[in-house]
Amino acid sequence: MARGYLMAALAVFAAFSLCTNAIAVDEIKIGVLYPLTGGAAAEGKELRDGAELAVEIANNVKTELDMAMAKNSGIKSLGGAKIKLIIQDHQGNPQLGADLAKKLIQDDKVVGLMGAYHSAVTKTVAAVAERYGVPMINESSTSPALTKEGLKWFWRTTPHDGTFTNDLFLFLQGLTQGKVRGVKPFDKKELLPIVSACEKTEWGSNVDAAIKEIGKPSGLEPQISLLYAAKAPDLSSEGQSLLSVKPATMLFAGYGADAILMIKTLKSLKAKPKLIWGQNAGFESPEFVSALGEDTEGILTRTVFSPRVGEVKKVSAQVNNLYKTKTGRDLSGASARAFTATQAWVHILEKAGSTKPQDLQKAANEVKIDADELIVPWQGIKFTTTGPDLGQNVLGTGMIGQYQKGKDGKMILEIVYPFELATADMIFPIKGW
Amino acid sequence: MEALRQAFDFSDFPRTDLCVAVAVAVFLFVFPALPHSSFAMATMIQFLMFSVYGMGWNTIGGYGGQVDLGKAQYVGIGAYTTAVMQIRWDLPFWVSLPIGMSLAVGWSFIIGYPLFRLRGHYFAIATIATSLILKDVFESWSFIGGARGLKIPLRAEMPDFWFLQFREDYYYYYVILAFFFVGLIYLNWFRQSRIGMQLRCIKDNEEMARSLGIDSHWAKIKAYAVATAFVAAVGSFHACYNFNIEPEDVMSLDLSVLIALMAMLGGAGSLWGPIIGAAILVPMKNYLGAWFGAKAGLIGLDLIIYSTIIMAIAAFEPRGIWGIVTRIRQSRSD
Repeated sequence: MARGYLMAALAVFAAFSLCTNAIAVDEIKIGVLYPLTGGAAAEGKELRDGAELAVEIANNVKTELDMAMAKNSGIKSLGGAKIKLIIQDHQGNPQLGADLAKKLIQDDKVVGLMGAYHSAVTKTVAAVAERYGVPMINESSTSPALTKEGLKWFWRTTPHDGTFTNDLFLFLQGLTQGKVRGVKPFDKKELLPIVSACEKTEWGSNVDAAIKEIGKPSGLEPQISLLYAAKAPDLSSEGQSLLSVKPATMLFAGYGADAILMIKTLKSLKAKPKLIWGQNAGFESPEFVSALGEDTEGILTRTVFSPRVGEVKKVSAQVNNLYKTKTGRDLSGASARAFTATQAWVHILEKAGSTKPQDLQKAANEVKIDADELIVPWQGIKFTTTGPDLGQNVLGTGMIGQYQKGKDGKMILEIVYPFELATADMIFPIKGW
Repeated sequence: MEALRQAFDFSDFPRTDLCVAVAVAVFLFVFPALPHSSFAMATMIQFLMFSVYGMGWNTIGGYGGQVDLGKAQYVGIGAYTTAVMQIRWDLPFWVSLPIGMSLAVGWSFIIGYPLFRLRGHYFAIATIATSLILKDVFESWSFIGGARGLKIPLRAEMPDFWFLQFREDYYYYYVILAFFFVGLIYLNWFRQSRIGMQLRCIKDNEEMARSLGIDSHWAKIKAYAVATAFVAAVGSFHACYNFNIEPEDVMSLDLSVLIALMAMLGGAGSLWGPIIGAAILVPMKNYLGAWFGAKAGLIGLDLIIYSTIIMAIAAFEPRGIWGIVTRIRQSRSD
């Protein structure tokens, strides 16, 4: 009897130690951490699909594409070694993210990391990367604090919320000055009062701080600014609080389900704002449009990609077609950024010609990717190596898109900022509910 | 001295239990020397953390029968005390640990006094409410980083035993293993102590306990404080182990529920219950997620399996795994 218990107990505990891995010499493993379940699962899948498409292009010759990584099969400087992504689901949990990062580094022997979407998870994963001296490229976490820690093994391709929020207020000022296509100049007071509500983790609270800080000098700071739990099952009290001042402008930062819930709540409360802006994330996920349909018409979101970019960038249209063939969807801000970060990994590996961490670190600090190579409308990729924003891509730029009904009746994201890239007249004011 | 003897006295357990316990203890000691993956090590550390959380919960929730769903607030107090003291005043972990535990115990007395005027579901709801209120306070308190939380800076020299900063996880493993054994020994004393007996009496029939002269209100408050000390200690450890803390991570309702769930699943009111619950749920949660979580077409399967097992155990034996063991033993002895 005792022996039986003993064997059973040992069997349970021995199951912990079953992960052993072998390193294949002809492939380069990159560990990827995304939220594939939970409230941001839709964005996680977008990110995964974008990264996988980039790997498919890097590992195979696709002469029809106008980008360097499509000309070779694998990493040329490493003898044509193929890239393999090892993707893990962190469920939006910072602790699990850190544990999985250790697994990827120590058990799966990845040469580097990518992820993790949620800034709070990215923070813990970056701490693990720093502890073990393994390079990490971040594609979509936009909390400015991430590149202000002086981390030596962390690089971020996407612009951060400091840039995006700055874009927001430049856009609002331009809107009043008649710079936005289809909108005549008007008094700034028409945009007041402004209210904001951000989810209250690392990312949302940083957006909240950025909105207050950047909005103040131009007299566009929020009259009410709330932080709410992204997992909250109900946002009625937050909605009522925001609407108590009859806001003209409403600014949000929400991850996934909460962004949808917020708009549903505003609709149920018959909100009549003139302008609604979301800080990407939940406001740009495919679920946002599929769940809300025409209720999204007129809502603005900051983004880094819209299929409309393909009209001015040939390579964007080419990659978007491949993505659409593969997934049935257009590239989104999430998938385009994951694609771009994976592309950055390819360039870094190509430049390093090695998988040693120090060589990769040096290559990441020196890499320069031209704008022509990218599907996103940035000026390129070049990471800072000094100053307070260490590891940040200084050539990234943001866009603001507005959901409008297309000719086929489907909601599409039209570009309204930068003003010179505008693809449609802006709807202003929106009709509300 | 008598208390110490009592703490190491496991003689009332069947021999089979003790054999398994010794085997598990030996396994835990030698685990880092066995071939293992780093994910297995991380899972073992989490298992030990949740075991100690569960032991704490067991004092009031198991022996006392008061379903506490607000333990995360004490994890937060412990974690934040350590993080703030390290970041702002460069005070080592071993100094901040007792301070964090004391602050948590102090807070538990403050809220415990009114809370234990409530019973049953009302008490459980009140513990959730206090935990969420404290989380909201932490989220808007800029001195401790607000909702953005705190990041403990890496020290130049590692390993650093004073500040509990290590590159290799096995150091953390042995620290939390020490907490685990101290907790287990303490709980063994607790269950046989006067307060432990009083709590069980209160759990069975509070009116009768009071008629016997037991101050049930005060007994519950004391047990609640004990539970709090356990949880706050692990919270302090969590801050050093994870380097980053934020209210959403260390003070969420999810964490409170998970702590209670593990103890209840293993068997509330038994010495081994929280350990069994953590030994099943922590690896299951981690490994199912790692195996299925990222594979296209299998996304969410891990959560389905995880929740099905929990529901099956809850439906089959509400007293948890230890209840199943007890039932089998009783049927064999009949």
